[in-house]
Amino acid sequence: MNRAVVVLILALMGCSFLLVNSQQRTRQLFIEKNRLEIQQRKLNQEWNRLEYEQRELSRSSRIIDIAKRQLHMNDAKQDKTIYLKEKE
Amino acid sequence: MRMPHPSQSSELVLRLPMWRSRVVLFLMFAAFCSLIVRAFWIQGLGNDFYAEKGNKVKRVLELNAIRGKIFDRNGAVLATSLEAKTIIAYPDVVPDDLEKSKVVAFAKLLEMSEADLRKKLGESRSQLYLRRQIEPDVAQRIKALEIPGIAITSEYRRYYPEGEATAHVVGFTNVEDVGQEGMELSNNSLLTGKSGQRNVVIDRLGRVVDDLGGYIPSRNGEDLTLSIDSKIQSIAYEEIKKAVETHRAKAGGAVVLDAITGEVLALANWPSYDPNHRSHLSGEQLRNRVLTDTFEPGSTMKPITIALALEKGIVTPSTMMPIGHLQIGKKVITDTHPYSVLSVAQIIQKSSNIGTSRIALQMEPEDMWGMFQAVGFGQAPKLGFPGAVAGLVKPYDKWGKLDQASMSYGYSISTSLFQIAKAYTIFVRDGELATISMKKVDKATPGSQVISPKVAAQVRAMMETVTQEGGTAVKAQVEGYRVGGKTGTAHKSNGKKGYSSNRYEGFFVGIAPISAPRIVVAVVIDEPTAGGHYGGEVAAPVFSAVTKATLKTLNIAPDANATQLVQNNGVQQVNFQR
Repeated sequence: MNRAVVVLILALMGCSFLLVNSQQRTRQLFIEKNRLEIQQRKLNQEWNRLEYEQRELSRSSRIIDIAKRQLHMNDAKQDKTIYLKEKE
Repeated sequence: MRMPHPSQSSELVLRLPMWRSRVVLFLMFAAFCSLIVRAFWIQGLGNDFYAEKGNKVKRVLELNAIRGKIFDRNGAVLATSLEAKTIIAYPDVVPDDLEKSKVVAFAKLLEMSEADLRKKLGESRSQLYLRRQIEPDVAQRIKALEIPGIAITSEYRRYYPEGEATAHVVGFTNVEDVGQEGMELSNNSLLTGKSGQRNVVIDRLGRVVDDLGGYIPSRNGEDLTLSIDSKIQSIAYEEIKKAVETHRAKAGGAVVLDAITGEVLALANWPSYDPNHRSHLSGEQLRNRVLTDTFEPGSTMKPITIALALEKGIVTPSTMMPIGHLQIGKKVITDTHPYSVLSVAQIIQKSSNIGTSRIALQMEPEDMWGMFQAVGFGQAPKLGFPGAVAGLVKPYDKWGKLDQASMSYGYSISTSLFQIAKAYTIFVRDGELATISMKKVDKATPGSQVISPKVAAQVRAMMETVTQEGGTAVKAQVEGYRVGGKTGTAHKSNGKKGYSSNRYEGFFVGIAPISAPRIVVAVVIDEPTAGGHYGGEVAAPVFSAVTKATLKTLNIAPDANATQLVQNNGVQQVNFQR
């Protein structure tokens, strides 16, 4: 009888510690989840910003301008072009 | 004192005084009582105090939804929302004796004068926006000033990387993120997301530590993929801009259609505006002329009239028509050059008003009206685009002989450039009118048959002669490709006073490549004042440049003057000569 009481008391104490511990872990994981969500949003924003920047740099009018003015390139004339056609 | 013998211990227990156990019992009772009192205190009397304490760690977080992006057909972004900061001031909290250097620096970062800033900070309002949608790095520098009563929040701001070139198609949003023009307006509900909220508990460090339920997730807006090809769009825009400047015109517009899929590949207008800086926009710049301005299409109407005549069997391409002099009532119909006899094909090539009128006068007004309806004149194109106009076609029972004749060569009828381009899809699709879309489609769409494939081919052949030697638009030629089209030069209407003698509109509407038609390109130059005013002089060169870029972008092989086909490792090498 006495031994059973002791075992139960120990078990109760063990469970209480585990409860406190798991609650602490829940909180920590919750904070971590929120942190990661915020980071995800920030990274998404960063991706949008970079996508925008890339688009601005690869604008056709900008590329044509650089090709013609800075690199002195010209459109390929017909007689200098070889067209390859896929065999049907 | 005598020590008790171990055998006497049971007596010892019995002899413990009773008061000790009573004290213990009382203490336990008292402890329980105090717990009950405390619980009552907390739950009942002190409720407000603790509720207030609790509210300090409770927060409602707004979950912002992000507006959907707009892409071109190749996935290049045309409109995107980026984070921007908003500066909010709480004038009550801002100290009155703020250091001058801080105010000066703050005003500079806000791009306002020091006096204006001081006035705003002196207002007796609890909260006001000092500046919305500023760059995050500017906001960071404002934060570094550490002025009490100044808060920074996040918002989203719309950016348009293609700027002026796609302004009329994409449109723009206002500061509240609501679409105001273009696709931003017509697809506003699709692009707009739905913001959500979360009730949370935060800890001492401001971290969210628990959810309190009542979570409403935010839903971001959906993305939209347009049919526009930003490369073709950009070239069309640059060419229109160049032509308007060269010919010192008032305005210009161009539209490129992939007639097979019915997609709009480019739709450009000049004057345009930069949707990224939209504080000084005027109506003139905002007008999407291609869709919202109607005009009398002039000679670009002739292929449609002739197509009907061929369809009805009234003439064939080789029928010889006497031209000479034509007078209807008091009105004398004129041509730019006098001709005595022309074939039907030559009437198109030389753009003879008299010839077209003579053919039209042999037709029933009802048939002509039916043809105009069938190709979409007088009806606003179903594009899901704001402001697309219907143009005007008089009911056929109100037509006189003169109406019938002038409509056959594009007067007394009004359309938008877009409607003309759409009508021309019948010549590309073997007589079928395409269903036009501003969104990406990517497969052939069903249309409605207007004329027979045979007639469509006959008119195509006539339109090709327009761009050849002896035609009105040699400048429309595209190196390596067979192209066809029709010029148009219309005197602008002066309202009730008739037509202006020196204000014109020059058009060219064409199709390419002739051997396997695919695209329609329509160009208008409004009121050219230098370097000619005929469509063949002002609009045809734009057609040529835009068509060349479009065919190249679409990977369409040249179809003109193929001299040699060489079989080589599974690929054919094709050489072309001019």
